[in-house]
Amino acid sequence: MTRSITLGQYIPGESILHRLNPRLKLLTLVLILIMLFFLETFSGLIAALGLALALYALARVPFSYLLRGLRPILYIALFALIIYFFFTSGGVVLFRIGFITIESEGVEQGLFIVTRLVALVLFSLLVTLTTTPLSLTHGMGFFLKPLRYAGLPTEEVAMIMAVALRFIPTLMEESQRLMRAQLARGADFETGSFFHRARNMVPLVVPLFVSAFRRADELALAMEARGFRIGAKRTRMHRDIITGQDLAALFLVLALIALALTYNL
Amino acid sequence: MFIGTEQLTHTYMPGTPFSTTALQDITFNFRQGEFNLILGPSGSGKSTLIQHLNGLLKPTAGRVIFEGKNIGDNKKGLLYLRRRIGLVFQMPEEQFFSETVFDEVAFAPRNQGLTEDEVKKRVVEALSKTGLDLPGLSERHPFQLSAGQKRLVAIAAVLSINPEVLILDEPTVALDKSGRKSLFDLLTELNRKEGLTVIISTHHLDEAAALADRVLVLNQGKVVMSGPADEIFGRREQIYSLGLALPPVTEIMHALNEKGLTVKTAVYTLQEGRREIINALRRDRS
Repeated sequence: MTRSITLGQYIPGESILHRLNPRLKLLTLVLILIMLFFLETFSGLIAALGLALALYALARVPFSYLLRGLRPILYIALFALIIYFFFTSGGVVLFRIGFITIESEGVEQGLFIVTRLVALVLFSLLVTLTTTPLSLTHGMGFFLKPLRYAGLPTEEVAMIMAVALRFIPTLMEESQRLMRAQLARGADFETGSFFHRARNMVPLVVPLFVSAFRRADELALAMEARGFRIGAKRTRMHRDIITGQDLAALFLVLALIALALTYNL
Repeated sequence: MFIGTEQLTHTYMPGTPFSTTALQDITFNFRQGEFNLILGPSGSGKSTLIQHLNGLLKPTAGRVIFEGKNIGDNKKGLLYLRRRIGLVFQMPEEQFFSETVFDEVAFAPRNQGLTEDEVKKRVVEALSKTGLDLPGLSERHPFQLSAGQKRLVAIAAVLSINPEVLILDEPTVALDKSGRKSLFDLLTELNRKEGLTVIISTHHLDEAAALADRVLVLNQGKVVMSGPADEIFGRREQIYSLGLALPPVTEIMHALNEKGLTVKTAVYTLQEGRREIINALRRDRS
């Protein structure tokens, strides 16, 4: 179970991708995702996939993480394939049983859509694999800033998100510890009907809430003791500097997009 | 072999960049009816090892043995095993979820499917063993009790399964002097009078040293020393190199020896120390 809780899936590393500024990383990701939707040919998509794989190699992400990241979209991809195969007509008839026909147009479109989906996921996953959840939040916080003028407390929202992210692994660890502790006392979390199991969760949920509230209290006190005030101007330990490397990466991606669009890939 | 491990290795999150080996090639054997210490600085793997003894973690390699059998052999056996080996976690009062002390202590026997009469009997027994058979206490909210009392309730909540082996992970953490005293009085009683095999992990020897029969010393997930208590505590330099300390009385005995008064150094309580010093002085005079 510990396996599945590497939240945000961040893998520590030293590659260029790890060091890119999170704001720019998010911006380039959005640009690439938009580009993927504009690509019209198979060869264009394959090139994009190749680019994604090259970047994974550059970031030194183990191949198993890539596969694990694709697992959640397996069923969506299969569903899309089936829909396209059976319900799109046109082109040459490839296969026919009774009233079921599979035509080449459907196969082509289905594969195209699925390849695009895989590319979308691979690029997005790469960002979460190479950016700490905290930098991601800061990056997103930056893009949310304009909403401040609409009266939204964006700084505070970013703070809440950062704190929540910080404590999810802690609470996960705690819930596992509690689960084992109650198992040692003969608790049963697995068998029985839905309601039975829900009731059996009480020995887990109650202490978890108690400790979460205690932690929240302590954290609030510690933050106040260090001078945290809502609305006050904050500085950061890790300064958000955009370097030449970041700009170079952005221009590279812009150039790629321009290339793809001019040649109608 | 009563309870122990054979070449036990445990790796957290294997196959990921986060994998850490918490235990490496641990082999030891504790005897029935003895008072056993698992000693080591924090982060040495004590808690991981303890959870293995109750089948809560699965070994990455090696075996955990109880009464000569590998405990991981079947799942049904594990449930039965957990009724014979009681495990008190670190800071066990953080697991409380009931509204009364009674319900908290009754949780384990109820899980065993006993009738409410039997459950009540078990609870009363457990509370009286732990010295919590005070009027009205069993109807109070566990959070209203003192830190020492909470810890005792948590222990009662495990004693109510009637275990033969009682394992406690860092039982003295966050207890004051009087809390520690009542805890060790209870453990002495359980071990010496009721015949329970007791295993505790600690890095604080003051009270535990006097009780220990056998000691296993861990550091960075490996066994550093293992053997009878007096033998282990005699290796003072090694104990210190791990950042652990012997009880003050033992230190005084060592210091006296260095100053030329021949006294036994395997002394862990004040009474024993006083007796030993008086005897030595008498011998000196005659």
